Amino acid sequence: MPSKETRVELLQGTLDLIVLRALSTMGPQHAYGLAARLEQVADHPLNLNQGTLYPALVRLEQKGWIKGAWQTTENHREAKYYTITRAGTRALESQTERWRRLAGLVDKLLLHES
Amino acid sequence: MPLRLAISTWRQFWRRLAAFFRDEHAEKELAREMRAHLALLEDDFRRRGLSADDARLAARRAFGGVEQAKERQRDARSFVWLADARRDMRHAARLLRRDPLFTATAVLSLAIGIGANTTIVTVGNALLFRAPAAVADPGALVDIGTLTPGGGFGNSSYPNYLDVRRRVTTLDGVYASGLFPRAMSLSGAGDSKATERVFATPVTGNYFAVLGTTAAAGRLFDADAVDRPGIDPVIVLSHRFWTRRFNRDPSLIGRAILLNRESFTVIGVAAEGFQGPGVRAGDLWVPMPVSSAASSLANRTAALFLVGGRLKRDVSIQQAAAELDAIGKALALEYPAENRGKSFLVERLSPVPGARLPITIFLVLLLTIVTLVLGIACANVAGVLLARAAARRMEIAVRLAMGAGRARLIRQLLAETLMLFVLGGLAGVAMARVLTSVLVALLPSLPFPVNVSLAIDGRALVVTAGMVLVAALLSGLVPALQASKADVVSALKDDAQAPARLRLRHAFVIAQVAVSILLVVVAGLFVRALQAAGSTNPGFDPRGVELASLDLSLAGYTSTTGPAFARDLADRVRALPAVQSASIALVLPAGFETQRRSVRVPGVEPPNGDRTFGVDWNVVEPRYFATMRIPIVSGRDFAAVDREGTQAVAIVGEGTARQFWPGEDAVGKFVVQTTVGPGRQITDRPLQVVGVARDVKASTLIDGLSQSIVYVPLQQQYMATLTIVARTTRGQRAADEIRSLVAAMNPDLPIVASQTLEEATALGLVPQRVVMSVAGGLGAVGTLLAAIGIYGVTAYAVARRRREIGIRMALGARPADVVRMILQRGIRLTVIGCAIGLLLAAGASQVLVVFLFGVAPLDPVVFGAAATFFAVIGLAACYLPARKATTFDPLAALRCE
Repeated sequence: MPSKETRVELLQGTLDLIVLRALSTMGPQHAYGLAARLEQVADHPLNLNQGTLYPALVRLEQKGWIKGAWQTTENHREAKYYTITRAGTRALESQTERWRRLAGLVDKLLLHES
Repeated sequence: MPLRLAISTWRQFWRRLAAFFRDEHAEKELAREMRAHLALLEDDFRRRGLSADDARLAARRAFGGVEQAKERQRDARSFVWLADARRDMRHAARLLRRDPLFTATAVLSLAIGIGANTTIVTVGNALLFRAPAAVADPGALVDIGTLTPGGGFGNSSYPNYLDVRRRVTTLDGVYASGLFPRAMSLSGAGDSKATERVFATPVTGNYFAVLGTTAAAGRLFDADAVDRPGIDPVIVLSHRFWTRRFNRDPSLIGRAILLNRESFTVIGVAAEGFQGPGVRAGDLWVPMPVSSAASSLANRTAALFLVGGRLKRDVSIQQAAAELDAIGKALALEYPAENRGKSFLVERLSPVPGARLPITIFLVLLLTIVTLVLGIACANVAGVLLARAAARRMEIAVRLAMGAGRARLIRQLLAETLMLFVLGGLAGVAMARVLTSVLVALLPSLPFPVNVSLAIDGRALVVTAGMVLVAALLSGLVPALQASKADVVSALKDDAQAPARLRLRHAFVIAQVAVSILLVVVAGLFVRALQAAGSTNPGFDPRGVELASLDLSLAGYTSTTGPAFARDLADRVRALPAVQSASIALVLPAGFETQRRSVRVPGVEPPNGDRTFGVDWNVVEPRYFATMRIPIVSGRDFAAVDREGTQAVAIVGEGTARQFWPGEDAVGKFVVQTTVGPGRQITDRPLQVVGVARDVKASTLIDGLSQSIVYVPLQQQYMATLTIVARTTRGQRAADEIRSLVAAMNPDLPIVASQTLEEATALGLVPQRVVMSVAGGLGAVGTLLAAIGIYGVTAYAVARRRREIGIRMALGARPADVVRMILQRGIRLTVIGCAIGLLLAAGASQVLVVFLFGVAPLDPVVFGAAATFFAVIGLAACYLPARKATTFDPLAALRCE
């Protein structure tokens, strides 16, 4: 078990962005695939139970940014695959832009203060 | 960007809404997805070499709490407030189920209040707003009435109608129809051989065209051809009649049927649902010249027709009214004898032309009453909710302390109220269906068919729903606000008082008592008015008199054959064993109908420049006065000598005698009956007065005695529409005997209506009767609710002061002292409520004085009785809990803390 300090708490709303980004680069994914991907990318283990993905998925789906459909995996398991939509791609662009500006601002502030 | 953002927010809104309503589906989908997810995880762990069991556990651990994840997903998925609302509703339902007595009482009282309101709204909707069925663009239709001096919207004569039709430019057609559907006998049509009474409405040829209705089969009247005299007798059937009597037989079109033994060709059937512009519902339509006597069509003073028209495009009703007024003034100048002082009125089409104002006033009166009852019911529910809120003070305070939002709490408390009201509303609508049929049953049977659709339609339901919401908010919000204010510290200290809440509850009880006593007083006043109407001597004895109405023309009798038949009929009725005395009359006193005629009196000048006197008129057979027990004060009754060919005679009322020949004996004097013939020639017929009869109440029992009445003998002035009056021995019914007698004398002669004279005289008192029933019935309900309110408040006070009472009794207070102490508060509420209610009633009675005919608006009997009644009710309602207080065991009361 990783100690508490090394876990990264996800900022509110960032999970949505991460999921969008993952779907955009990797193509259609099911929730488990997404979770595996996140664990793989993160240097630190994320403070993320895999179930935590679901609210983000339903939010994105309701916004019309991703779309889910039932398919079969290569191991003949059924799974719901999510695909990013056109609106999702557009949203990803603007959200990424927003995030960069915000992150830059926070970085700058932190540098100044320290 | 803002637009796109708005769109996506909007889209999200709809998806969430959809998600809320597709909850089941979303739940299943979610469960399936998570199951699949876990399966994939498990597969992975197994590939890494874990055993099946370990893999499952590891998968669970990696996934985290399944239920938590579901809950989070749900939160993200649906509106929090909508889900909350659903939870609130479930919670409320649970609370209501836990207290079935309270729920039942509240729902029932609300149902009565709401049901009564829906009923009145439905009636008002039907009589004032609903557009006639199967009529094109009803918004452009108008009623045209004759405005007579001193009268409102009246009917019109045919010659005046024709002049309006010729001259008018603002209307796209003007039609006329007979005032009432006429009874005719249909013989041997279709498969049936029996004679049947049907109702025919005489109409002008353009009637269907102006109203813009279509034919369901065949064709309708041709606008021009039909109005000429001497056209072939043709008829159009109503769809209902066609269905009922002929089973929608299409081969009927073009065939002839026998009406009053004459052959009429059926040319078509009107559109389904069409019954003309009003509430009168005839079976068929006949052309005016075919069905109406030439004399009544030529008589400019015979106001026997309803006239209506259609506004031309872009013409306002004011413009039409101005033009019609101008036409009316012109006609008054051209025909001063008949039209002096008359003009025309134009009103929007109404199911009850000309009666909109009185009906509105009447309905507003009823609506006020039922709204008051709904108010009482609301106050009652609010009162109980307050008490319950008090009982839940602890729970609420604890929840507030634990951080529950106040808005959230208010919503939850409101949900309970709303659920009560929705249940009450549903029950109310069901009750309204019953009440409308009761109301219809209260109405008298009219001599012609009327069809008012009292279906509870969308409009009534919308009004009801609005009413339910407003009432729920009003009676739920105050208790909810009060309850949510519960401050933690004082609530947790058990004995804290909540004076504001108590004051509010007292106010509710006072209001209930006040409104209930108001209703009881109003009902009482109408009871007194009806009593007064019944107890004053109407001038005749209505008890034990059987009536049967006939139209001799239905069986083909004419003015030559009719009188002999009528005489024979009267003789045979007299010979029936149950009949003491019998006669025949044209109209009955104190009934629905009056007949007016014009007379001149030699040597007596009518006031204000008129040429003639208007008098009430009746045509009777001998022994009429004896049968009705109207004393003849001087002279003689009609007799066998008064027949065609002898001196025309008359009997006058005492008032008439005084008016025309004050201080002299009227017997032997002459009145001159003046009639305007078809060619406008005036016929004078001198009638010699042979007797003077005591005056009777001519139109309704509540009106004064007839000012001037003239009777003439049937044998000299034959009329075809007659009523048999038969006084039976010891009040027996003889309707069946009379019916079989008439059938034996002439099988083609139907009895148009059969009732007792008492029933007939009740007709004029219908508005009073309806108000009395409504106010009385609802007043009783209100009183009961108020009593429950007083009881509730007192019982609550007793429960709250249990310990105090225990201590007092332990210290030696006698039960009587305790009872007195408890009674005091309840009585004070009752007295204040009574005082306010009586003041309100005094005010209301001043408004109602027009309906009360002779009863003093501040009738001491009614007010006194109501006050006493409420004092007793109040005492009883307080006494029960007070009695209970004396049974408290002081020790137990003290220990229970």
